[in-house]
Amino acid sequence: MSDNKAKGKSASSSARTVHDASLVRMVDIHKWFGKVCALRNIDFHVNHAEIVGLVGDNGAGKSTLIKILSGFYTADRGEIYYEGKKVDIANPKVAKQLGIETVYQEQALAPHVSIARNVFMGRELTKILGFMDRGRMDEESMGAITKLGLRIKDPEAMVEALSGGQRQGVAIARVLHFKAKLVVLDEPTIALSVKESQQVLDFVQQLKAEGISVIFITHNIFHVFQAAERFFILSHGEALTDVRKEDTDIDHLIDLIVSGRTEMK
Amino acid sequence: MSGNTGQGKRVLNTFIRMRSLNVFIIFALLFTVFTIFSPGHRFSSKENMLVFLAAGSEYNIVALVVGMLMIAGEFDLSVGSILVFTSYVFLSLFNTGINILAALILTLCSGAVLGFINGIITVKAKIPSFITTLGAMLLWRGVTLFWSGGEQGGLDFTQNPVIFKAISGVVGGLIPAQFIWFVGITIVIALLIHYHKFGNWIFTTGDNKMAARAMGINTDAIKIICFVIVGAAVSFAAVMQMFRAATFSARAGDGWELKAIAAAVVGGTALSGGIGSIIGVFWGAMVISVIVMRIAYWWTFTVFGVIIVATAIISRVIDQRRAMLGADR
Repeated sequence: MSDNKAKGKSASSSARTVHDASLVRMVDIHKWFGKVCALRNIDFHVNHAEIVGLVGDNGAGKSTLIKILSGFYTADRGEIYYEGKKVDIANPKVAKQLGIETVYQEQALAPHVSIARNVFMGRELTKILGFMDRGRMDEESMGAITKLGLRIKDPEAMVEALSGGQRQGVAIARVLHFKAKLVVLDEPTIALSVKESQQVLDFVQQLKAEGISVIFITHNIFHVFQAAERFFILSHGEALTDVRKEDTDIDHLIDLIVSGRTEMK
Repeated sequence: MSGNTGQGKRVLNTFIRMRSLNVFIIFALLFTVFTIFSPGHRFSSKENMLVFLAAGSEYNIVALVVGMLMIAGEFDLSVGSILVFTSYVFLSLFNTGINILAALILTLCSGAVLGFINGIITVKAKIPSFITTLGAMLLWRGVTLFWSGGEQGGLDFTQNPVIFKAISGVVGGLIPAQFIWFVGITIVIALLIHYHKFGNWIFTTGDNKMAARAMGINTDAIKIICFVIVGAAVSFAAVMQMFRAATFSARAGDGWELKAIAAAVVGGTALSGGIGSIIGVFWGAMVISVIVMRIAYWWTFTVFGVIIVATAIISRVIDQRRAMLGADR
C-alpha cells in the first residue's frame, strides 16, 4: 500500500497522473512570499487512516504547507490530488467540504461558551427559523466526545473548566463528528503536561481507528515519534526525508533535523 | 448536620450558576431599602413607579443592546449622541408634517445607519470600537448642536392618539407602554442571543474571534449587525423619550454611554466580550435606573463608580466558580 517511500523522497517534479491509494497527494509544491522561497519542490502524501508526523524547526515551512492544504494559501506551483482526483483548494471552505479539517490549539475553542456550542460552532443544529436544537446538540456532541474516549459529564459545562488535554479532545471530537477524512493537528501537545499529551496521542489513535488520516505537526520529534507511522521532515522549505517508522529510529531523525541536511545515498 | 451543609452548598451553587438571579436580588434589595427609607414609603407609590417604569425603560432598552454588543466584543460610547441626533431627526421629520409612522420608521433607519457607520469603520479599519465610537460620540452631538442651534423644540401629538398610546400610554392604568416595550425587546433579544444560532455566533465572536472565523463565522458581519441593532434601538428610545417629554432637548442622552456599560457590567457582561446574559443585563439596567431614580444627582456618579468596580470584582470571583459548575442563564 505504501510503496511510495522512495517516490516521496525523490525530487522529481514531473507532473504525473496518480493512481494510488493515498488520500491526499501534494505534488511539486512551491510557494514564495515575495523573494523568499517558503517551500520548494515538495512532494507530500497521506494514506488512508495513516498518522503522519510533519516535523521541522520553526520556519521550516510546516505551517505554509498545511495552509496550502487547508486553503488559506494557494501554491505558486504544484498540484494537489485528493482521493485520486486533482483538486483546487482555493479557500478553507473547499478544504472543509473535501473533509480536511485543521485543529489549531489557540484558535479552536471559545472558552466561555459551552462544550456543545463549541462543537457545533458555526454549524449549529436548528429546529425552526434558525433556533438551536440544544437537546440534539448536547446529545450528539457527547456522542462524539465519548467515541473519542474522552470522559466529560456535562456538555453544558464551559470549555474554560476543562484541562488542556480535554480541550484538544473537544476540538478533535468536533472534526470527528463532522466526518473529517483528514485531520491536521497543529502542535497539539505544545502546552500540555506529559499526561495530557498522552491523552492527545490516544485521541489520535482513536481517529485512526475511525478510519481518519492524521497529520501531526510538531517541532519536537519526541512528541510525535510514538504516535506516527511515517515522518515527513522539512527544513528551510525543502523536504529532508519521508520515512516510515520501521525504516528509521529516533536518533537518526534527530540527526537529520539537527544537521538540516538531506540524506545522501 | 452534614446533609444540611450539603444542601446549603447546593443552594449556594445554584445561586452562583444563575447569574441573572444574583442581579435580581441586588435589585430587590435596593428597591426594598429605598422604599423603607423614603418618607412615607413614597418611593414605591404608584406615581413614582409609573415614572420609574416609563422613563427608566428608555434607558434600559439602550443598556440591553449595549450589553449584546459587548458580548460580541465591542463597545459603543456613542449611544447618547445617537440618541440626541435621532431625536432631532424625528423632530425635524415631525415638523414637516409627514405621516408619523413614516417619521418613526425613518428615524429608526437613521439610527441604524449611524450604527452601521460605527460598525463598518471598526471592522474595516481595524481600530478599537472604543475609539471609533468615542469619535462618533463627539461628532454626532456636535452635529446635533450645530443643526438644532442648541434649541429646545416642542412636539404636539394630539393628532396622533393611537401611536401616542402605543408608545407612551399606560396600559390598564398601571403599566407604562414603555415598560412593555422594554420587556418585549428583552424577550426578543434574549431568544435571539441565547437560543438562536445567531446568538452562538455573537458569543463565539466575542469570546474567541479567531476560532469563530476558523469555523466559518463571518465575525465582521456579526459585529456590524450588532452595531446596527444598537443604532436602531437607541433611535427607538429617542422616539419614546420625545413622546413622553413632548420636547426636544439638545442635552438628551448625555452620559448614557457609561450608564449603559455600567448596567451591562452589573448584569454580568464581561468587558472583554463573550460572557453575558440578557436577563442579567435586564436586571442590571433596573438596578442602575432604580439608583438614578432614588439618589440625588451628584451622588449617582459616586454610587455608579463604586458599583461598577465592586460588581466587576464580584463577577470575576463568581465567574470562576461558574466555570466549574457549568452555566445557567
